[in-house]
Amino acid sequence: MKYEPQAGAVKLTMLLSGTVFLLMMIFGLVLRASQGNFIELDPAIFYQILTAHGAGMVGSAALSGGAIMWYFVGKYTKLNPVIYWLFLGLFLAGVVLILGSVFIGEYGGAWTFLFPLPAISGGAWGVEAAVIFCLGYVLIGVGFLLYYLEMGYRIGKKYNGFSGALGWRYIVNGDLEKAPPPTVIAAASVIIFNSTGIIFGAIVLVASIVNLLLPEFAVDALLAKNAIYFFGHVFVNATIYMAVTAVYEIIPEYTGKPWKTSRLFAIGWALVVVFVQLVYFHHVLQDLVMPAWMLALGQIMSYASGIPLIGITTFSLCVYIKGSGMKWDLTSKLLVLSVAGWTIGSIPAVIDGMIAVNKVMHNTLWVPGHFHTYLLLGEVAMAFGFSVWLVRGKAKKTANNLLERLTFNIYALGGFGFILVFLWSGASSIPRRWAVHLEEWHFHSQIGTVFAVGVVLATAVLVMIYTAGLVRRETKK
Amino acid sequence: MQSSILIITLALMALVAGVFLFVVMSKNSAGTAAKHNKIRYQLISLLVIAGVIISVVSLRYGSHALASSDAVVINVVGGQWWWEIDRETVPLNKEVEFRITSEDVNHGMGIYNSDFQLIGQAQGMPGYTNKLVMVFDKPGTYQVLCLEFCGVAHHDMINEFEVVAAE
Ligand code: HEM
Ligand SMILES: [Cu+2]
Repeated sequence: MKYEPQAGAVKLTMLLSGTVFLLMMIFGLVLRASQGNFIELDPAIFYQILTAHGAGMVGSAALSGGAIMWYFVGKYTKLNPVIYWLFLGLFLAGVVLILGSVFIGEYGGAWTFLFPLPAISGGAWGVEAAVIFCLGYVLIGVGFLLYYLEMGYRIGKKYNGFSGALGWRYIVNGDLEKAPPPTVIAAASVIIFNSTGIIFGAIVLVASIVNLLLPEFAVDALLAKNAIYFFGHVFVNATIYMAVTAVYEIIPEYTGKPWKTSRLFAIGWALVVVFVQLVYFHHVLQDLVMPAWMLALGQIMSYASGIPLIGITTFSLCVYIKGSGMKWDLTSKLLVLSVAGWTIGSIPAVIDGMIAVNKVMHNTLWVPGHFHTYLLLGEVAMAFGFSVWLVRGKAKKTANNLLERLTFNIYALGGFGFILVFLWSGASSIPRRWAVHLEEWHFHSQIGTVFAVGVVLATAVLVMIYTAGLVRRETKK
Repeated sequence: MQSSILIITLALMALVAGVFLFVVMSKNSAGTAAKHNKIRYQLISLLVIAGVIISVVSLRYGSHALASSDAVVINVVGGQWWWEIDRETVPLNKEVEFRITSEDVNHGMGIYNSDFQLIGQAQGMPGYTNKLVMVFDKPGTYQVLCLEFCGVAHHDMINEFEVVAAE
């Protein structure tokens, strides 16, 4: 290995994000159980927990994705460790502000802080809580921008300019020898679109903060909505596009075949950069004042985004693993599950991106149905697959013991059961983000709760396996 | 409508899951690189062609309708946490145009039929008026539920109107 990636810092990050995933899943379980009338929650508390769950999960996905990408890009080029610690420090400071705003300030305006709700809470929370929530986001965003600047600068230097790192130069001249590895192409692409996303997010956050403090400074609600969904969509997507580097780097250890850059791979990622930024219009399909062509573009881009995913990552993974005789241990199972979950989850997402469907599915539980598929069974599975690999490498003896088999099966089955209930609920017109469900909907939430218990238990074991691995490693040293 | 969407979605999800299971269980290797490339290009071409057809057809028939000049106009205002609808009855089999706006934050007007099935929706946003065009072909009581999170009593924002045959 040419450089030593910051293994210690990354391990710490994975411990933090793994623990937060578990904690936030328990929050999610509480939400689902209360929708099923198993427990009773005051609506204000429900919406606070919902806010914490949404922000915490998206944050934790971003944190783990960021750690994974830093680790693997660090294999190819030196990265400044101070920047990583700054990123992590700012992230944690942001988390403290967000948690304080929600649980002390009683902020319950949801992770999307849709303007002007943070300012007009109907008495549920104060302006200070909303400001602190937004500031927490700003800190996390600044941390990410520093991270991207550092990484972009380094890979640009190493690969002959940023267009070299993106692989775009290679698309044109076809010089395979000089093309960067898949991880670097992925990183360069994410750096472009997520920096753009975060800058838009920062603008609307700052505008919201100013509006909160000086209400006479008005913000246009439609403009704010566009900026927020642009930011939110890009940011959530970036979590997976960062974490997928674990698949590119680890799966070859199992199949013995390196994941190679091809011209199509570089083209696919170039398209991702464009599509990811145009697809957010599918969040505003019910804003009929939007120009019709933008809504049509949202629908077309939703579909188009699926093509590089299926044609490149999913297809290549299938080719690499088919008949490879690879070993199935916890890491390899989780990583393959993650690509399957991502691909499968994109189907209900693309379908909901159709205007005709969106009219009757938008803001029903169909939506949590699709995004939990590619987050819970996608990004989170990538993160745990990577974590287990970090403390263990490709497993030798311990592979496939009963506990691990059981854990994986319960995670996967519980996860699919959980998201299928959401989709079924969405198709039954049950709204999302409703603290109190009508009696005829309780049955859905109750089954969902049972599946969720399985996911929570399996995740608890995953965190234990990782922690035990960490401890074992450290004591061996 | 929703049940067909659900069935198609589940079928496609099962198809992808099936491909993964097949690949994972398969003992035979995937063959030569040339063969994969061919399959890969076929797959991508298929996705592109299917995409063009689906997009054209669904955008042609599924996009939001615009009202004709004799549509019945109904004004709807959302606020924390109430709906104000300026008519209690809505004519059957006539084009109606809901003009939806908000007094405070974003709301979503979700229209539910008497089987409690969502049949259409649009956002209600401060400073803007969204025009939602619908034709009701069944008489009965319709519910309006809020479909955009608007604060602590979001789930209480329910109102209703009656669809009746025009005299
Ligand atoms: C055991 C696992 C989980 C359970 C039980 C769970 C449960 C829930 C529930 C009940 C909701 C609210 C649904 C509604 O709108 O009524 C929700 C929303 C959400 N969940 Fe999860 N979830 C889990 C895992 C995850 C994971 C792994 C992620 C992301 C990495 C995630 C991200 C989100 C987001 C972003 C929302 C939207 C919040 C909002 O509407 O403001 N969840 N979840
Ligand atoms: Cu509402």
